[in-house]
Amino acid sequence: MTLSLTVPDILVARAKAGDLEALEGLFRAFETPVYNLARRICRAPEDAEDVVQETFLEVVKSIRDYRGEGHLWGWIRQIAASKALMRLRREKLRATDELIDETAGSPPASIGARIDLERAFAQLTETSRAVVWLHDVEGFTHEEIAEQMGRTVSFSKSQLARAHARLRRLLVAEPEVP
Amino acid sequence: MTMHCTMDDLVAVHDGEGSVWARRHVEECGECRGELDALYQRVAQLKALPALRPPRDRWPMVRDVITAERAHRRRRWTRAGLVLAAAFAGLMVLLPLMHGRAYADELAQAKQQSAQLEGTLQDYDPEGRVMSGREADLTARLEDQIAALDGQLAQLGDRAQQEAQLVDLWRQRVDLMQQLVQVRVTRANYVGL
Repeated sequence: MTLSLTVPDILVARAKAGDLEALEGLFRAFETPVYNLARRICRAPEDAEDVVQETFLEVVKSIRDYRGEGHLWGWIRQIAASKALMRLRREKLRATDELIDETAGSPPASIGARIDLERAFAQLTETSRAVVWLHDVEGFTHEEIAEQMGRTVSFSKSQLARAHARLRRLLVAEPEVP
Repeated sequence: MTMHCTMDDLVAVHDGEGSVWARRHVEECGECRGELDALYQRVAQLKALPALRPPRDRWPMVRDVITAERAHRRRRWTRAGLVLAAAFAGLMVLLPLMHGRAYADELAQAKQQSAQLEGTLQDYDPEGRVMSGREADLTARLEDQIAALDGQLAQLGDRAQQEAQLVDLWRQRVDLMQQLVQVRVTRANYVGL
């Protein structure tokens, strides 16, 4: 995923002043990475779209608090991750997570050896996907993930290890041990 | 039996947090090194996944919410402004009334005190009593001042806008009357006249 996530300082300054055009500029610059992050965490595309909307409303509300320390994308990414995880919590998908984790022991035959990373990743539970994506791709630390999810650091670490073990099995099309 | 790294060990090594044993084992064990390489590859591939793009433009919805919230905020401020303006206007009306009430009370009090002092003076029948030259001089000057004040009071009448001035004059009158009473009545008592 290669996207230019740099925006001119003047755009940020105008957005801070409440300029609607500048806010749209920020939206255009970050809508894809925010959607991508949300979509990797949420199962439904509509949920990811809602996360995009909620994230930017939060950005509009809090942009004055952004002091320019660190990359703007880092700040927006935190908000996006928080909104995506909040959505997972709100919809009580954790209960479903456990079910999926237990029942998805054997992948469909059609996946077999041709399963690619994208499809394997899609088979992970929401929580596992969130941890893998936030840690491995977005660069969140386990501490940050734990804080965002309201869980412990060891939970984040064990979720990551479990997710990679599962990805490995799916990618080599090994029969999974339930 | 050879002990290999678990996925927890490999992920920790990948993060630079692996135990001494795990790091050493990965260097020595081809199988585990292969697993670690595969982990590195998976992470790299995850990072290289194409960006998923939003199917619909959500900006119009975001913009509508922003505009609606701004309008709501403006309305709230306008309402707050109106309430403040009304409160200020009320204060502007009430304050003079409150002040007027206070002036009227003070005026009535001063008039009453003045009347009481006049009564005290009359009771001692000052005209029928003997005074020393010094007392007569002092009395005359006080009575002149009171007469001058009475002239000013007669000019002012009871006009509300001059209430402050009226109160002040009446206070001065009370003060002069007290001095006059002190000179004539108290002195008369003192000398036993």
